[in-house]
Amino acid sequence: MLKKYFSKEKLLYPFHVLTHPVDGFYEIRHRGMGSVPLAILIMIVFSFCFSMNRMMASFVVNDVDPRSVNSVTELGAVMLLYFLICVGNWSITCLMNGEGRFKDILTAVGYSFLPMIFAFVIGTVFSQIVANDETAFYRIIIGIGVIWTGALLLVGIMTIHNYTLGKTLVTLVLSFFSICLIIFIGIVFFDLIDQVFGFVKSVYTELLFRT
Amino acid sequence: MRHRLGPGKPNKIRSLILIAACFLIAAETTVAVADSVPYDTYNYDYRENIVPTPAAYVPLRSVSGVSLLWNDESIGAFQSPEDLCVSADNKVYLADTGNKRVVVLNLAMTEVLEVIDSYDYNGTKTEFGSVTGLAISNSNQLYIADKTAKRVIVLESADKDRKYVKCIENPQSELFSEDFSFTPTKVTVDYADRVYVIAQGKTEGIMAFDENGEFTSFFGTIGVSLSPWQKFWRRLATKEQRAKQQMFIATEYTGVDIDEAGFVYATYIDENAKRSVQRLNPKGMDVIVAGENGNLSGDLDYFGTSDYSGPSMIRDVVYRGKGLYSVIDSKRGRIFTYDAEGNLLYIFGGLGSQAGTFYTPVAIEAIGNMILVLDKNRGEIQVFTETEYGQLINQAVALRYDGDETQAVDKWMQVLKKDENFELAAVGIGKAYLTAGDNEKAMHYLRLGNSRLYYSIAFKRYRNAFLKQHLGQILTVAIILVVLYAVIMKILSKKNLIRKQEEVW
Repeated sequence: MLKKYFSKEKLLYPFHVLTHPVDGFYEIRHRGMGSVPLAILIMIVFSFCFSMNRMMASFVVNDVDPRSVNSVTELGAVMLLYFLICVGNWSITCLMNGEGRFKDILTAVGYSFLPMIFAFVIGTVFSQIVANDETAFYRIIIGIGVIWTGALLLVGIMTIHNYTLGKTLVTLVLSFFSICLIIFIGIVFFDLIDQVFGFVKSVYTELLFRT
Repeated sequence: MRHRLGPGKPNKIRSLILIAACFLIAAETTVAVADSVPYDTYNYDYRENIVPTPAAYVPLRSVSGVSLLWNDESIGAFQSPEDLCVSADNKVYLADTGNKRVVVLNLAMTEVLEVIDSYDYNGTKTEFGSVTGLAISNSNQLYIADKTAKRVIVLESADKDRKYVKCIENPQSELFSEDFSFTPTKVTVDYADRVYVIAQGKTEGIMAFDENGEFTSFFGTIGVSLSPWQKFWRRLATKEQRAKQQMFIATEYTGVDIDEAGFVYATYIDENAKRSVQRLNPKGMDVIVAGENGNLSGDLDYFGTSDYSGPSMIRDVVYRGKGLYSVIDSKRGRIFTYDAEGNLLYIFGGLGSQAGTFYTPVAIEAIGNMILVLDKNRGEIQVFTETEYGQLINQAVALRYDGDETQAVDKWMQVLKKDENFELAAVGIGKAYLTAGDNEKAMHYLRLGNSRLYYSIAFKRYRNAFLKQHLGQILTVAIILVVLYAVIMKILSKKNLIRKQEEVW
């Protein structure tokens, strides 16, 4: 079981995808080189690196109050957003002849966040040795990470669904709307549950006081 | 102790009780002093969080007209007094507006020195209308802004029998509209007897008069800023709609004071809660310096929907020397003190009916280590006196203003002992260590004070010194690593390990 998802080959594969995104994502889709647990693990590590950066980056570059950072809440938020993006994208690409399966989307998005992990770790260490007028270097490190991740995401979605660039962009915009829709329906659902619960509770108390 | 009190067992017990009592009394008094202020004392930190601080000023007493005697009679309660002024020879002038008089008190505010209720205007004895503003010139002449008589009256000093000197009324200029009528509310005068008057309804600025009482120009302006949203709506509206819309006119100034160099401090109510004080140079330009968050308008955290929320309404300002000035907020009755660099030093005061709180604070003055606040509704002067904490801050800021940063460090250290969250103190100490060359300690304190700029300077010096000292070791380690890497790669390629790995991919 563990061997299947975390074999040496699979563990090293995200690093191969970093530099060979088109081939890499193609093989994830068609040759089963990806691993969903590994992608989730990358997202968890990313979330902790994100929190670490907010907490520990030198105060010269970091305006966040370290007391306000809670890595567990942030982990929850990152994972929720990760699944929302994947579900949103999946629900759109299903309808638009996308070839990718849900597990391919999970893998592609997860693997795409690897450069951000490097950027946050290197940036956080580097921030300890920068002064006020050298913060541009730190911003470049983080910026490269963001751009790289963005490019990987785009290429990943494009490759696993076998889309053209234009179609990818359109599906990304539609994915965004579907995410909003999911959130909206979720809120409405929870509100309804809350009201039903309140109703049952008031009926119960009413009956209780009657006797 | 036993020997001093005498021999015997009963004495021993008595001495023990005495000692215990002494401790009890000591404990009681210290606690009482720390907790007895009827208002919140706090400050805002770098991240604009509210941080509680010790009290910088505590209420001393209040002065009402009832207990004051003049010609062996009580002068009666002050009726909605509007202004307060302290002269260089330490007399307190009070504009007792409702009673149409000016009351002069001694420094301790226990005795009435004079009651001025009329003046000799072109041969006729004239009584005051409603005195709303007072100022004292360097030659001890008294400037009285009379709102209903529509003139600023100038009277001689007390030793010249308060003789009428001149008055400023009905000024003429092509800048005024035809229906303009001069209604002075507040007045101040500089070292060269130039007069600055806040007139009701004059939104163009403060009116400046020369030493002969001739109008020279408007002085200072309050900018009007439109939000992008408002601009957008005005763009959409037709001309007729725009004419019916609310006009965007600058507000009036609410209070003035002047420093020894002739710079005018003027306050106004800023709805955006950004700037409520201006420091106007002789050209009328605002040269005030704001702190890092750019705020000079009292409270930063004022959100909510009650009457008690909303931006501070700054009513008056007093210049207290060494770049220090205090402003009074009538919304929540708080007094905010800033230094020359716009750092908020301490906050005290509040609304209420206890000693040290106000109903409607309208004017603020300072004498020595005391701050006086005039409460219009209650007709009282509330007197505050500085605590050790306030005194230390005042002294440190004064030393810093004079450029004596090294001497200020001692004071800042003591401030930090009383309030370890005081960022300005930490920055002050850090800067001193920085000049002394102790970069590590400087970094520690500047980090505590959240000063990015100076922390960076200290850090750069520390880093350079570190590199200079350890460059040899660092380079040695780097060379060893490079050589190791080359050797390992060679061994690996010999064993064909690398090629095998490539085949996997």
